[in-house]
Amino acid sequence: MNNLNFIYPEIFISLSILFLLIIGVFKKKSSDLVFTLSVVILLIALGILIKFPSDKEFFLFSDSYKIDQLSTFMKIVTLISGIFVLISSYKYIKLAKIIDIEYPVLILASILGMLVMISSYDLIVFYVGLELQTLSLYVLAAFDKNQRNSSEAGLKYFVLSALSSGLLLYGCSLIYGFTGSTNFALISENIFSSDYGNIFGIVFILVGLSFKISVVPFHMWAPDVYEGSPTSVTLFFAVVPKVAALTVFIRFLYVPFFSLIEQWQSIIIFLSLASMIFGAISAIGQKNLKRLIAFSSIGHMGYALAALSVGTNSGIQSSIIYLCIYLVMNIGFFCCLFMLKRENIFFYNLEDLAGLSKNHPVISLCLLIILFSLAGIPPTAGFFAKFYIFISVIEESMYFLAIIGLLSTVISAFYYLKIIKIIYFDRPKEQYDKENDLGLKISLALSTLLILLYFIYPDSLINLVSKISII
Amino acid sequence: MAIGGKIFWPLISEQINHTDNTMIAHTIFFYTFSLIAIISSILVIVSKNTVHSVFFLILDFISISCLFIMIGAEFLGMIMLIVYVGAVAVLFLFVVMMLNVAQQKNQWFESRVGYSHMPLGLIVGLVILLELIIVVGGWKYKPNLILTSSISIDQKVTNTHLIGNVLYTDYIHLFQLSGMILLVAMIGAIVLTFRKRSGIKRQSYTKQISRERIESVELVEVKTNEGVKIDD
Repeated sequence: MNNLNFIYPEIFISLSILFLLIIGVFKKKSSDLVFTLSVVILLIALGILIKFPSDKEFFLFSDSYKIDQLSTFMKIVTLISGIFVLISSYKYIKLAKIIDIEYPVLILASILGMLVMISSYDLIVFYVGLELQTLSLYVLAAFDKNQRNSSEAGLKYFVLSALSSGLLLYGCSLIYGFTGSTNFALISENIFSSDYGNIFGIVFILVGLSFKISVVPFHMWAPDVYEGSPTSVTLFFAVVPKVAALTVFIRFLYVPFFSLIEQWQSIIIFLSLASMIFGAISAIGQKNLKRLIAFSSIGHMGYALAALSVGTNSGIQSSIIYLCIYLVMNIGFFCCLFMLKRENIFFYNLEDLAGLSKNHPVISLCLLIILFSLAGIPPTAGFFAKFYIFISVIEESMYFLAIIGLLSTVISAFYYLKIIKIIYFDRPKEQYDKENDLGLKISLALSTLLILLYFIYPDSLINLVSKISII
Repeated sequence: MAIGGKIFWPLISEQINHTDNTMIAHTIFFYTFSLIAIISSILVIVSKNTVHSVFFLILDFISISCLFIMIGAEFLGMIMLIVYVGAVAVLFLFVVMMLNVAQQKNQWFESRVGYSHMPLGLIVGLVILLELIIVVGGWKYKPNLILTSSISIDQKVTNTHLIGNVLYTDYIHLFQLSGMILLVAMIGAIVLTFRKRSGIKRQSYTKQISRERIESVELVEVKTNEGVKIDD
């Protein structure tokens, strides 16, 4: 209990959730204030996290909570992306009339759950963190009560996610039963492939986790939920939970289950292949941009998993780099979506982008860069992300995975380029609103610049990530 | 970490030095409570009024929690009281009263149609009876698990004390996080169900009293053949 300062961010966020609720009760019309305060709270939590860096590994609460390089880095990524999600979606939330004090409070609660998940070193702690995270996400998905789609999205997400939590718990109970412990270190000591219960447990846990990051064949909820929920929530869904879920994936695969790599490797390769191919092919026919980004995120998660399947440190690192660049690209893309509004109505369809370059050259240029990056065309950051993945896959001479990955990159380039064609060569439509608020502009500019200028000094990210080593 | 086994270990009658009198009292209480439990659980199904069924369900829960307390699992008994009686059964009662199903007659024993369910019900009942017999058989011919168990039980420390010892020290972070989960669930329920209705007229005494003539009365010049539009 001497190292409590390592969980100050979590403690701070939980206390401030209570504080914000009290403000909401006693101050009338305080939703704007609460929203601003929640951004400040995330900033302070980020500051605390950077102030107490962990050079060594620390265990808290009788080894059930681990602070190391991986957890610190992922927590920083979570908090930064949370801040940008909030800043860029402020105007949208106001215009869509879903600004309530509960909105930022729920976002904070879900981020708290993610922080717990990232640090968890025990099945129970992991599950409690996951539950805190998803419970807030259910409510956020159904937040726009006046839209039927939003309620549908919330219900769908709730039912399917509850099912996946059930599978996950079943897997956890099998692992606990056959290894005799819920602690990750103890599990890795006592797990043997001779017990079929262990393998069943791993399969169930992987299924549950795959649901959470929506990889094929457990992706069914993603397009509907992305389309139905309010766009600000879709942005949150597409960005922040992936960080925590991928961290948990890394932790599960490389700490407790690492000795059974032969058993889970083929599963992860299958998940990754299926989602790369499916994400590339099924996005082609999509008309709705939110649905399209859902399929694209399925594909991207496939690439991140491909690097995890190799079982080396460089694989983990390239997967983390991929995730970071993916977050930046998605935030940029959604910033552009938030700008497509006319008289307080937002547009999400592919044809609404037609001829955007004539009236809005700056937004179109940003979209062009982001889409090039999503397609993986050099010299954008997206190219480097895929490059690292394929290097670490080829290093372990898994050529089949690399070839299929490259092929699906080519297929997915088609629909990204199709959007660019619509933006630049189609007949222009009516003009959209020229005015946008500062936070949105800053987020868009920052993400575009990061994507464009990444190639000048790629070491900055690589050096940070290279400190993370699990094995 | 393996404290879990200690908590719910039932007290074994051989290990306790009871005098005969307490044993008799114990037996009397046991049979009383089990009789009440069985009778009330039958009445849950049989009674024609649904509200009465819920009341018998509550009685059933209470007597079962008494049985738990008698075997020394006082924490389980109290949790049973709080969760089942305090929350679940009251929720049932609310649902029954709101849906107004109490008015519907129980068709099971009255109408001719109801008897078509009988064979299926009997089969299910028979299967459950067989399973019970198997369970009892397994209990009777069980290997000597308890005698060879190496877990030492301190009779003086209660279950609640033991759980508290672990819950508020080793698992304090989980305890607090569960609290956060409950808070989020509460916020979520409120967010999803609470609707602000516009256009409701509320009475405000200060507004009524401080109303002046100038605000409310207006002299309008009425033109002929046009009239005046009031309160559009």
